[in-house]
Amino acid sequence: MREPKTYARNYEIPEEELTYSGSVSCPGCGATLSMRYALKALGSNTIVVIPACCWSIIAGPFPYSSLTVPIFHTAFETAGAVSSGISAALDVLGKKDTTVLAWAGDGGTFDIGLQALSGAVERNEDFIYVCYDNEAYMNTGIQRSSATPWMAWTTTTPVRHPKEEPKKDIVAIMAAHRIPYAATATVAYPDDMIAKFRKAKSIRGAKFIHILSPCPPGWKSEASDSIKLTRLAVQSKVFPLYEIEHGEKVTINVWPKDGGVPVSEYLRLQGRFRHLSEDAIAAIQAEVDRNWERLLKKAEMSMP
Amino acid sequence: MKKETEAKVVTFTSEAEMPMMPASVASTLYNKTGSWRYMRPLYANQTPPCNAACPAGEDIVMYLQLTAQGRYAEAWQTIVRENPFPGVCGRVCPHPCESECNREHLGGAIAIHCQERFLADYAAAHELDLPAVDAPPREERVAVVGAGPAGLSCAYHLRRMGYQVTVFEAKEQPGGMMRLIPEYRLPRKVLEREIGAIVALGVEMKTGVRLGVDLSWEDLQDYAAVFLAVGQSISRELGVPGEDAAGVLHGIEFLAQVKRGQKVGLGQKVAVIGGGNTAMDAARTARRLGAEVTILYRRSRAEMPAIDEEVNETLDEGVKIEFLCAPVAVLTENGRVRGLRLTRMELGAPDASGRRRPVPVAGSEYELEFDTVIPALGQVADLSFLRAEVQTERGRIITDERTATACPPVFAGGDAVTAFGTVTAAVGSGKRAALAIDCFLRGIERPFPDLAHNVQAAPRRRDPTVVRFENLNTAYFEEEPRPQERQLPAAERVTSFAEVNQGYGEEVALNEARRCFSCGTCNECDNCLIFCPDVAVLRGDSDDEPFVFNYDYCKGCGICVSECPRHAIVFEEEVKFTKT
Amino acid sequence: MKKVVTGNYAVSWGARLARAQVIAAYPITPQTSIIEKLASFCADGEMDARFIKVESEHSAMAACIGASAAGARAFTATSGQGLLLMHEVVHWAAGARLPIVMGVVNRAIAPGWSIWTEQGDTLSQRDTGWLQFYCETNQEVLDTTIQAFKIAESVFLPAMVVLDAFVLSHTSEPVDIPDQADVDAFLPPYRPQLKLDPADPRAFGALVLPSEYMEMRYKMQKAMERALVVAEEVDREWGEHFGRRWGLVEPYRLDDAEIALVTSGTVTGTSREVVDALREEGVKIGLLKVRLFRPFPHQIIRETLAGVRKVAVIDRNISFGDSGVFAQEVRAALYRADARPPVFDFVAGLGGRDIVPETIREIVDYTLAHDAPTEEFTWIGVKT
Repeated sequence: MREPKTYARNYEIPEEELTYSGSVSCPGCGATLSMRYALKALGSNTIVVIPACCWSIIAGPFPYSSLTVPIFHTAFETAGAVSSGISAALDVLGKKDTTVLAWAGDGGTFDIGLQALSGAVERNEDFIYVCYDNEAYMNTGIQRSSATPWMAWTTTTPVRHPKEEPKKDIVAIMAAHRIPYAATATVAYPDDMIAKFRKAKSIRGAKFIHILSPCPPGWKSEASDSIKLTRLAVQSKVFPLYEIEHGEKVTINVWPKDGGVPVSEYLRLQGRFRHLSEDAIAAIQAEVDRNWERLLKKAEMSMP
Repeated sequence: MKKETEAKVVTFTSEAEMPMMPASVASTLYNKTGSWRYMRPLYANQTPPCNAACPAGEDIVMYLQLTAQGRYAEAWQTIVRENPFPGVCGRVCPHPCESECNREHLGGAIAIHCQERFLADYAAAHELDLPAVDAPPREERVAVVGAGPAGLSCAYHLRRMGYQVTVFEAKEQPGGMMRLIPEYRLPRKVLEREIGAIVALGVEMKTGVRLGVDLSWEDLQDYAAVFLAVGQSISRELGVPGEDAAGVLHGIEFLAQVKRGQKVGLGQKVAVIGGGNTAMDAARTARRLGAEVTILYRRSRAEMPAIDEEVNETLDEGVKIEFLCAPVAVLTENGRVRGLRLTRMELGAPDASGRRRPVPVAGSEYELEFDTVIPALGQVADLSFLRAEVQTERGRIITDERTATACPPVFAGGDAVTAFGTVTAAVGSGKRAALAIDCFLRGIERPFPDLAHNVQAAPRRRDPTVVRFENLNTAYFEEEPRPQERQLPAAERVTSFAEVNQGYGEEVALNEARRCFSCGTCNECDNCLIFCPDVAVLRGDSDDEPFVFNYDYCKGCGICVSECPRHAIVFEEEVKFTKT
Repeated sequence: MKKVVTGNYAVSWGARLARAQVIAAYPITPQTSIIEKLASFCADGEMDARFIKVESEHSAMAACIGASAAGARAFTATSGQGLLLMHEVVHWAAGARLPIVMGVVNRAIAPGWSIWTEQGDTLSQRDTGWLQFYCETNQEVLDTTIQAFKIAESVFLPAMVVLDAFVLSHTSEPVDIPDQADVDAFLPPYRPQLKLDPADPRAFGALVLPSEYMEMRYKMQKAMERALVVAEEVDREWGEHFGRRWGLVEPYRLDDAEIALVTSGTVTGTSREVVDALREEGVKIGLLKVRLFRPFPHQIIRETLAGVRKVAVIDRNISFGDSGVFAQEVRAALYRADARPPVFDFVAGLGGRDIVPETIREIVDYTLAHDAPTEEFTWIGVKT
C-alpha cells in the first residue's frame, strides 16, 4: 500500500480500525463515531461493557458484533457495577493491562445508572466510564432524560410543554467524587478525545469521560451536520471541553476561537429547539455564559 | 474470533450449532448498510479559482500541494507540463490567479507568483531539465513563426507530443517581447535558461528569418502545419505634431536599446506617456539611467492597466505620475524635443473596455519641459506578410476558438490574435494551438479543452465548477498573513539594474504552500476518513485516488461532504432514487 | 478441623474454601455476618480475593456477573429485600450462563419490616434459572456452598445456597471445616467455556431475535436437567472426599411410612424429632426433606412418595391467591404417579414465627384426622 501524505492532516489519528462497518446506527451517529475514536485510542486489549442504550443495538444482534474487542451487554443500570466486577476479576486473574470501558448513554448514566456509577467511582474502581450523551432516551424514541437541555423538545416534553429543568451537571457530580480523572469530549475534536482516552488509560482508578454525541433523529438535525453541531457546541460554550483531575484541577482543553459564537448558531440547526422564542434563546445564552464564567474561575483557581 | 475482513452471514440450523449463551461468532460486516443510502458522496475534485484564472492553465493547487510536501522538483515539473516559463511568469505575470484566490478572505491571497518563481529558481539552482520527450516521434513537421512566448509555448508542447518543430524568428534572438522586460524585473539568465531548455528538447530555432522577407509562404509548404505567433511589433503613434523630433523614443525601442547595452542619451527630464506595463518599464529604466521621470496618463490610477504592484514600485522609485492628462503636441527646438503641450482630461462614459473614456477638458492646455519623450501606448501587429486567405480584422488575425485561421493548416495565436499583452496569456495561446494542431494532424475531433480549466495534453480529472470561499469549511482554516516578498529598498534600486524582487526562501515557500486552502482538491487531510462513523472511507492505492468510499457500508450521512475543508467531495442523489 | 460456627460463618467458610476470587456484597440483616467474615478473611490475606463493597445488592449481583464473565469465581450473599432488589440481574446471571454462587438467608418481605425467616424471597426467584439448595444445618450450609460451585460450574448456571434467618444464620453448631487441600482436590479452578477475553473477542448478551431466542432458553432448561444428574454426582464425590452426603432430597424413616411430611430448611430438624416421637407412639410416619428445589427433583419425589397414603407439606411461604409453593411443586410432581396420595399443605411460621414440635404435631394430627384435604391449604397457628 502506498504511503499516505501527512502534511495536510488536521488530526493525528491511529490508523487501526477496531470497529466494523455494517452496524445499524443511524446515519450521522455521534455515538458510533465516538466508539471508533475511543477504541483507536485504547487499542485491542480492551473490554467494553454496554448497558441498555443505542449501543445495545449498534453493537450488532446475536451472533454478530460490530467491535473487534469483547463486549458485555448488561442491564440498563449496571454499567458501573459490572465494570467493577470485570476490573476486579482482571486484577485477581493478573490481567491488569486490560482496559475496561463502560459505555453508557445519558439515560444509563444520568438517570437509572447513576447509583451504580456513583458507587463504582466512589470506590475508585479501575475502569473508564463513558457517557455518550445524546441528551434523551433516543433508542426508545426520544424521551426526556435528566441530560435533556432546558426547553428542548422530546416526545415526553412536547413543544406545548418543553423541559423546564436544566441539564444535570454530570461532570460536577463525578468531580465531587474526587476521582482521578473526569473530562468532556466530543466528536468534532477527535484529537482531543483521543488524547483524553489515552490519558484515562494511563491512570489507575475511576475515569469518567462525558461525550456530547449528536443524534440526527433525536435532535432533528441533518446527519451531515453532526460534526458541525458539536463543533458549534464547543465554540458556543454550550459544551466546553475540559478535564478535572482529582476533583480539583480544572483545565480547559479547547478554547473557543475568537471568543466563541452565540448559542443561537448551535440551536438553530436543531429541530428540537425550533420552537424557542428569542427570550428563551437569550436565557440559554445567559445560562451558558454563567456556566462558562464559573468554569473559567475554576480553571483559574487551578493555575499553579 | 479473529478480525474479519469479509462479510459472513451466519445461519444456525440447530440449537447444537449455537453457543450456550448469546455470544457473537461473526462481525456486522454481514449487514450491507449501503442499501440505506439515498445520497452518495463522490470524490470529485472541483476547480480551484486560481487554476480557473490562470491564462496558461497551470495546475496551481497541485504544485502548491507538492511544494507543501517539499517535493519541489515535482512541483516545478507540474508547472512546466503547462508552461515552460515559470521563471519568467513567476516574475512578470500580473497573476490573475491571486485576484481570485479564496485565501484573500483569511489573511490575504496566496503569493502564487512567488511560489512559481521559487520553484523556477529551485529548478535553476538544481539544474533541473525539462522532462524528456517521451511521446513516440511523429513524422509531421510544424513551423512556428515567431519566437515569443506564444510561439515558444506552441513549439514546446508540439515537441513534447513528438512533432518535429522549427521556429522562425525575425530577430537575432528568440524571446519576443520577453526580451524587452528590463533586467531588474527579469534577469536575462532566467529567460535564457527557459528558452534554452525548450531548444534543448529538440526544437529547431532559426533566428534572423523574417516571414515574407527571408522566408516565403512557399517555403512553408514543407510543413504539415504553421503556427503564426508574430506578436505586435509596431508601436502605436502619439498622433500629435512634433512626434518625429529627436528625443522621441518609443517605449519598446527604448527598452530594447537598453537591453542591448546601447548607450541612450535621455537628458535630465523624461516623460513617459501611457499607463501600461511598458510605460512602467520605460519609466523605471529611465530612472535607473539617472533621469527625472514623469509618467503622463490620460485616465486615473484606477484605470491603469499596469499591475498595481508595478505602479507602486514605480512610485517608490521616485517616478512622478500625472493622471488625467494627454499630450496634444511635442514641443521642439531645433528638431529636438524640449517639452510637451498637454491637455487636462476628465472621465466620461465607459468605453468598450468598460473603463471610463477620457475626454479633454476644453481650455486646459499647459506645457511641461522634457528632454526626452517616451510614448508607451502599446503596439499593433505587423501583418504585412500575411496571405490574403488568412483573414484579419482591426489589425488582428482572425481565428476560431481552436486557433485555426481561415486557411486550414495555418493556425495563429499570441498577441497577434488576442492582444492580451501578457506572457502568460501568450503561453496559454501557444499551448492551445499545439493541442489544436495535434488534433488537426491526427484528424481527430474531440471536445476542445477549455483553456480556463484544462489545457494540458493529458486532461486532468476535474469538475469545471469553480470553488468559491463560501463552499469551503472554514472551521479548518485560521487567518494567516500573506508573506512579504524580499525587495531591494527603493533608494538602492534606482542605482542599478539589480533584480528588485527577490522572492523568498524555502521556509517561507513551504509555509505559504501550506497556507493554501487547496480549493476543490483533495490533499489527504484525512477528514473524510476520520469523521466517517461507519468506517466506510478507505485509503486508496494511488495519488489519483487517495481515498475510496466503501459503498457497501456508506449510509450516505454526508459528514464527509460537510467536513471536507476544501469541497473536494460532492453529494449526489443515488441513481435508484432519480426519476427517469 | 471442627469449629463451632454460625450458619452465616459456615457460608463464609464455604466461600473461602471454594477460593472465591471476587466477592461483591452489600450488608443486610441477617446476612451481614457472612460478608463481615469474608471481609475479614480478605483483609487478613486468608483469601486471595477482591471484595467489592458495592452500594446495593443490585450492584452486588451485577459486579459478580462482570467478574464471572471475565473468568473469575464470583460469590455474593444477601437476604430478603436485597434479593428482591437484585431480581433483574439474578435473571441476567442465569441467562448469561454464569456460575455465580450466592448465599441467601431467607427473610420475610416487607412491609411491615421483618428480619425473620420465611422463604418468600428465594421462592420469588424460582423461575430465574438459578439452582436453589435449602439447608438444614450449618455443616450442610458449608458443604453445599462448596458443592454449589462445582455443580454450577459444570452446567453454567448460578446457584443459591439458602439458609433460614437466625435459626441457622445466627445459631452456632459444631461444623467440620475441611482442609483447604482436600477442597482443592474436590473443586478445581473455574474454567469458563467462553469469557471476556481480548484474545478471543466476542459480544455477550446481544439482542437475540425470535429466530434464536427459544434455543437459548432450551439450552438453559437442558442445563437445569443436567444439573439434577450433576448434583447427584457431585454429592457422591463429596461423600468420597469427606464422608458425608446430603442427597438431592433426604427420605427419613419413610420406608414403611403411611404419612410423609415434606419439609425444607430448619423445619426439617424439628420435624425429625416429631417423627421420632410419633414413631415411638406407633404412628407410621416419615419425612422427605427437599434440599434441591431448582431443578426440582420430580422423579425422585414421585418415586419416594408414591407408596405413602398421605403427604403433608410444610410451607414456610405463601403464594398469595394459591397456596404454599412447595406443595404446588410436590402435587405437580405426583400428578404423573400411578397412585397419587392426597397432598395436605400447611402454611406455617411466616415472618419468623417459631415452628415448634407442637406445631408439627398439629399438622400431623390434622393429616391423620382427614382422608383428604378439605381446602387448598391449611393455615397453622393463625390467631382467629
